Amino acid sequence: MSKKRELEWDRWVENAEKHPDKESIIHWTAGEEPFRWTFSSIIKAAESFAVGLKKKGVQRGDVCAIIIRHNKYFYPIYLGISSIGAIPSVLAYPNPRLHPEKFRQGLEGMSNRSGLDWVLTENVIADVIEPLMSKKGSTIRGMFFPLEWKKDLKFEGKDLENIEQIRANIKDTDPVLLQHSSGTTGIQKPVLLSHKAVLEHVTNYGKAINLNSDDKIVSWLPLYHDMGLIAAFHLPLAFGIPTVQIDTFEWVMVPSLLLEAISKERGTLTWLPNFAYNILANKVHDDELENLTFDSMRMFINCSEPVRAKSHKIFYKRFKEYGVKQESLSSCYAMAETTFAVTQTPPDKEAKILYVKKQSIAKGVIELNGNDENSRTCVSSGKTIDGCKVRIVDDKENDLPESYVGEIVISSVSLFDGYRNYPEKTAIALKDGWYYSGDYGFCLNGEYYVIGRKKDIIIVAGNNVYPEDVEDLVNHVEGVIPGRVVAFGEDDEDLGSEQISVVAETKISDEAEHKKLKLEIIKACMVYDFNIKKVYLVPPRWMIKSSAGKPSRKANRERLVDKREIIKWS
Amino acid sequence: MITEKFKKTILDELNLDDFDIQDETTADQVPGWDSLNHINVILAVEKAFDVHFKGIEVLKCKNIGDLQKLLNTKLDQK
Repeated sequence: MSKKRELEWDRWVENAEKHPDKESIIHWTAGEEPFRWTFSSIIKAAESFAVGLKKKGVQRGDVCAIIIRHNKYFYPIYLGISSIGAIPSVLAYPNPRLHPEKFRQGLEGMSNRSGLDWVLTENVIADVIEPLMSKKGSTIRGMFFPLEWKKDLKFEGKDLENIEQIRANIKDTDPVLLQHSSGTTGIQKPVLLSHKAVLEHVTNYGKAINLNSDDKIVSWLPLYHDMGLIAAFHLPLAFGIPTVQIDTFEWVMVPSLLLEAISKERGTLTWLPNFAYNILANKVHDDELENLTFDSMRMFINCSEPVRAKSHKIFYKRFKEYGVKQESLSSCYAMAETTFAVTQTPPDKEAKILYVKKQSIAKGVIELNGNDENSRTCVSSGKTIDGCKVRIVDDKENDLPESYVGEIVISSVSLFDGYRNYPEKTAIALKDGWYYSGDYGFCLNGEYYVIGRKKDIIIVAGNNVYPEDVEDLVNHVEGVIPGRVVAFGEDDEDLGSEQISVVAETKISDEAEHKKLKLEIIKACMVYDFNIKKVYLVPPRWMIKSSAGKPSRKANRERLVDKREIIKWS
Repeated sequence: MITEKFKKTILDELNLDDFDIQDETTADQVPGWDSLNHINVILAVEKAFDVHFKGIEVLKCKNIGDLQKLLNTKLDQK
């Protein structure tokens, strides 16, 4: 017998009917009383916004970009879009560092690729977006400011009938959301996910982490990122548990906010990129921890950048006296293309650590070692969750046995169908139902370890930065030889993440002029909000080229970072 | 008014040789002062002047002049 069609909206309504007064989203703002949505009140508010959207002409299947800062109405707006069969897509609100023109270019690239139909935003950035709409060939049909709408819009008479009719025709294989990978102009990859994919993921991932009705998620993660959107928003809403949402911008300024929210709200689960463990362990004062306890926490789940054993260690050491349990230090391997999680460590055990001979990794077959300078520490990302299969393959896509290092490829019941309007990228990543992640790793005793990347992406604090974007900006700086620039990630142990380094050839040899040029390079990258940690200036023809004739990121990185080669100016 | 020691503390933390910082200068205008470095700058100022800011006090600062004023208040209370 076939399973009844279920939309995410149906699940949200079911939760509201079962537990009308249970808290769903607790909206946190520093220094204010949190605003508390219940499962019934958020549905009611979502219906109001749905009426407003219908009146503005939004149709089933339309893509609605949401560019709104931390606001309690963000959530019902998102749900309201979904309730009429339109597709919400959360985009990052431009921060002050990002040049308005660059923001516009990014949005234009996204619009051309994803086919954005409507932009729901705030009046204060309307002038920046407006020119895009009148541009020839623009897909954007309109811009609204839903935070200014009257909140007493109600479903009645024909409105109700119309919307119910629309919902009756939506299939569970229809898209429920659209996410974008990181990157700037034109290279974001839009991922469409269906109701079915998301709901199946909630079931399978929920099982992997023993999700139960007493759980409460606490998160500062941005909702334009898959970890924030799926793990800390869709998962609790569909499962029927509360989630505490903290403003990302406030958290980076005041990291202790997360700890305060966990303690006051008695949180049980949180997802964090690796750098957050370092920030919390190293940058929070003792007096900010007064009267706080984290003994309610079942899992701190490390995800979205390589997991570092040292980060777990310093985090545990710092917070064990506040109730953090060693077994709560967990990890997960996830990506937008599979809705979210692929693997997860068990809920009641600390993520396993292996010491692997460095030389053996280079040879492609791992050998275990004692913890010494010849070993690399690898943290397990756990076993595959239900509904997912993982293979490790070589360059010719042949399967490799356990202990062999290769590319991680995944099939999942929650796998995307391909990048929207991007057949060339889809053809590279998706083959016969298997997603080629571009990540390198190995499997040992059924647990997966992610150890590197095939692509040159730099992961800074959980955000993917494409070196091409950085190089493009630096190429235009006066004094830099165009085409003779590379960008790469350099390890920052204190931060527990990577930072961006740039190597640029220049004919300038004067030291004082070098200082000026370095500053100009850093400033040039600020327009895209890239923070360059190190600039290496090198003389003409210093850089090693790849076989394609372009400066090689890998080879030049090795010279400067691994071999610490001294740059000579004659 | 931005004091020399306050300015130098910020520039040292951001590895900048020089950069013009006025009362109205905002963090996003200073090279290197991004969201990840913000907490480092605050900790460096706290260490240099032996003061402690509360998170909410820092959030209320709209520009570097506000941070200087906050610092002055803390120093007066010592």
